[in-house]
Amino acid sequence: MRSIRTVAAIATVAALGLLLAACGSSSSSSSSSSGSSSSSSGSISTSGYQSPETQSLTGGKKGGVLQVLDETDFEHIDPGIAYYSLDYEVVFATQRPLYSNKPNTASEATPDMAAGPPEVSSDNKTVTVHLREGIKFSPPVNREVTSEDVAYAIERGANPNVANPYIHAYFESVEGMPKADGGPIKGITTPDKHTIVFKLTEPKGGLVAASLVLPLTAAVPKEYAEKYDKHKPSDYGNYQVATGPYMFKNDSSGKVLDVGYFPGKSATLVRNPNWNASTDIRPAYLNEIQIKIGGTNSVIGKQVLEGTNIVENEPPAQSNIRLAAEKYKGQLEISPGAGSHYIGVDNAHGPFKNENLRKAFFAALDRTAMDKARGGKLVTDVMTHFIYPTIPGFEQSGGLAGPKFDFNEHPEGDKAVAEKYIKLAGYPSGKYTGGETITIVGAKGNPAEQDAEIVNQTLKNLGFTTKFTLVETATMYAKYCNVPKEEIDVCPSVGWIADFGDPQTVLNITFNGKFINATGNVNWSQANNPQLNKEMTEAESVTGQSARATAWAKIDEHVVEKALTIPFDWDKQGNIEGSQVQGVGDLWDVGEWDYSWTSLK
Amino acid sequence: MSIGGTEALPASESGSALDFLDLGGEIAARSPLQLFWRRLRQDRVALVSGIIIVALIVIAVAAPLIIKILGLPGPNVQNLNLTDEFGSPLGPTGSHPFGVDQLGHDVMSRVIYGTRVSLEVGIIGTVLSTLIGVVVGLVAGYYRGWVDTVISRMVDVVLSIPLLLLGIGIGAACAVKGCLGGAIQPGLSVIIFLIVFATWPYMARIVRGLVLSLREREFVEASRALGASNTRIMVREILPNLTAPIIVFASLQIPSNILIEAALSFLGVGIRPPTASWGQMIASATPIFNTAWWYMVFPGAALLITVLAFNLLGDGLRDALNPRGAR
Repeated sequence: MRSIRTVAAIATVAALGLLLAACGSSSSSSSSSSGSSSSSSGSISTSGYQSPETQSLTGGKKGGVLQVLDETDFEHIDPGIAYYSLDYEVVFATQRPLYSNKPNTASEATPDMAAGPPEVSSDNKTVTVHLREGIKFSPPVNREVTSEDVAYAIERGANPNVANPYIHAYFESVEGMPKADGGPIKGITTPDKHTIVFKLTEPKGGLVAASLVLPLTAAVPKEYAEKYDKHKPSDYGNYQVATGPYMFKNDSSGKVLDVGYFPGKSATLVRNPNWNASTDIRPAYLNEIQIKIGGTNSVIGKQVLEGTNIVENEPPAQSNIRLAAEKYKGQLEISPGAGSHYIGVDNAHGPFKNENLRKAFFAALDRTAMDKARGGKLVTDVMTHFIYPTIPGFEQSGGLAGPKFDFNEHPEGDKAVAEKYIKLAGYPSGKYTGGETITIVGAKGNPAEQDAEIVNQTLKNLGFTTKFTLVETATMYAKYCNVPKEEIDVCPSVGWIADFGDPQTVLNITFNGKFINATGNVNWSQANNPQLNKEMTEAESVTGQSARATAWAKIDEHVVEKALTIPFDWDKQGNIEGSQVQGVGDLWDVGEWDYSWTSLK
Repeated sequence: MSIGGTEALPASESGSALDFLDLGGEIAARSPLQLFWRRLRQDRVALVSGIIIVALIVIAVAAPLIIKILGLPGPNVQNLNLTDEFGSPLGPTGSHPFGVDQLGHDVMSRVIYGTRVSLEVGIIGTVLSTLIGVVVGLVAGYYRGWVDTVISRMVDVVLSIPLLLLGIGIGAACAVKGCLGGAIQPGLSVIIFLIVFATWPYMARIVRGLVLSLREREFVEASRALGASNTRIMVREILPNLTAPIIVFASLQIPSNILIEAALSFLGVGIRPPTASWGQMIASATPIFNTAWWYMVFPGAALLITVLAFNLLGDGLRDALNPRGAR
């Protein structure tokens, strides 16, 4: 998603055709939203700044126009394709998936288009969702939403012209999904106008139920969208209709392109006249949202901080975070749980096949320095394990302190422990003398470049000879770090954001050996530990949020214990607003401002 | 045989052809070198530039010693304690006169070491491209005919290749594993290769044009009539007459090459970090310029001073070697 969008996009491509095992409920009425979040909310320091965890969701003033400045354009505004936090800003203001997270949670789903929690059968192979009545599509469709519209929304995700990036990762167990091409899917049925049933071939009802928060489940009217979906790629995004409180400004034919959305220039969201507030949890205070696309991040940030009814919806430049913290403290929101960054270390080739050398590297690395280069404690926490704050399982994995191992104990680096593990690896001098040259491929630009240089220096200090190269971020992933045959020993700053609040989405695809792919691989360490693989396969079937959190936390600890990769940064994203904005940020979406909850003072 | 000496002799120092009539005493003959030096000495701007360049060369050669004397850390020593709580680098202080960068590298130390890269690229690149350009231009201009045609078309082709795009392409294609089995690896050698590849045609064109003119002169015909070989004529008769333009052009090529290196490093396809390079430092400083001006200003100033010094010295050399040329 946002700050790590390339990774996330590639992750889903990698996931195509793969099954993520599901959890399920033993109860026919259990819900993906049940249970309390194991978020670390209390332990993350955001004192003095706004936080999505503590923000007020009520009492906003109705009306007004919000100006939004974004340096970059949306990738996709079609709810069936969108998969980027910036896209989600407009998609979740204009569309209603079956379930959604309120802004102050990352793991507790609330029924949105659905009337209540999903019903998962006792055999974990059927998920039933009942829809609210009285929800209508925006003009020009103007009719009530039915379950068939939700079914079509998901079916079109499998249409090659739409090619939803995550459908196969989370919905592959739906009967008929593996061969779906946009037409009806056998496992999705609509017994009545307000009920949709998912029949699964495997007991993965829990995972399917949890994934219903994704925008793919936002209703799409077949009779209207079908003609646009025949285009390659689908043109529906440019003619979309809305179910949410806002819609892209359009003409009488429904055309959005060059009316309410000018690619690379601007977008305008206006109120959806068919939206019924009584059916929605969103307050939708604002009358209109005007989004200006382009400019330079560092300039935009300053404009926003000095402005009034204005927000920036991208991570501000590091210098503007500092400016906000020093001069505009009340206009800065710090959102924990904005993903993580770690060092991909090749476990399959080269020196780091040796677990002790990985531990030596782990011990030697000054993770506080890495985080300082990323903006310091305000926007980072030293990462000690992989399930990150706000994701269930974080506390069970040890919270901020993390699992206790000597090589993980000193975030500022411990030379003595590093030497100990180098000696255990068979190099009695305490320095690596194996003679192999380590290939390091990092990303250009702040702060990835600084991270890479720290990693390079750390390895040199351990005695390694390095071949150090910086390339564009997209190239780093697509050409090197995501391609196992390139045998890149160290990728200094790969990143990950969960698609939704379940620990499996953090650990499975990134550390399970069965997900190593020739291209688009996001198991960056090429971890293929039989014991760990077995544990993850078993955990896929664990049911209930608390039990799943515990099971995956155990796996998290084992990943750290074997030093499969070197974690260094839990991101806390800064977001800024003008002086007259009562911004509400989405904890589940790296703290990005939510137009449906934000108001003007 | 050479006409260089007489060609370079001015009618008089003051520029008036009749001045010598007023001289009452003995007329002292001066060599072309003496005349050149006499004129250069009078050009104070060129002299100061020359002194700066000598100083830069000393700095480049003695960088480790200078840093030791100044008590600065090495150019690659990271110290994140020298950044503030937001990770912003701290500004100039007594112990870090040019401040530090985002990793706590001492900027002065890196500027000093960056001199090495700039001068290496500027001087080595220029020497190599000059050698190639002179040889190729000499051959093309002297032999004319199909040799000239082939070489001239080759020059046209090379000149049509955009250097920066070529550099970016090589940087991208050969970034990690290198190209041609690892023979081409982005770094100093590739930058020098690129500069030589892209700049020799300019020298070749200039030399060719001059040779086309010189080869028709009487002294060449006389040499040929005396049975001199083509090689001898080119090397002993024509080449000495090209010295002045070659020196002038080469001296102006050095700053241009330094700027090319800075541009390539700025674009991230030049010198690999952590090796200090001014262009790379300026690129890293760009996003934080509003909070860490020193990180851009000092390497930028070093680049400016170096390029200016070479340019002004080049101008001075041109004037001293060719006093009849308009200033």
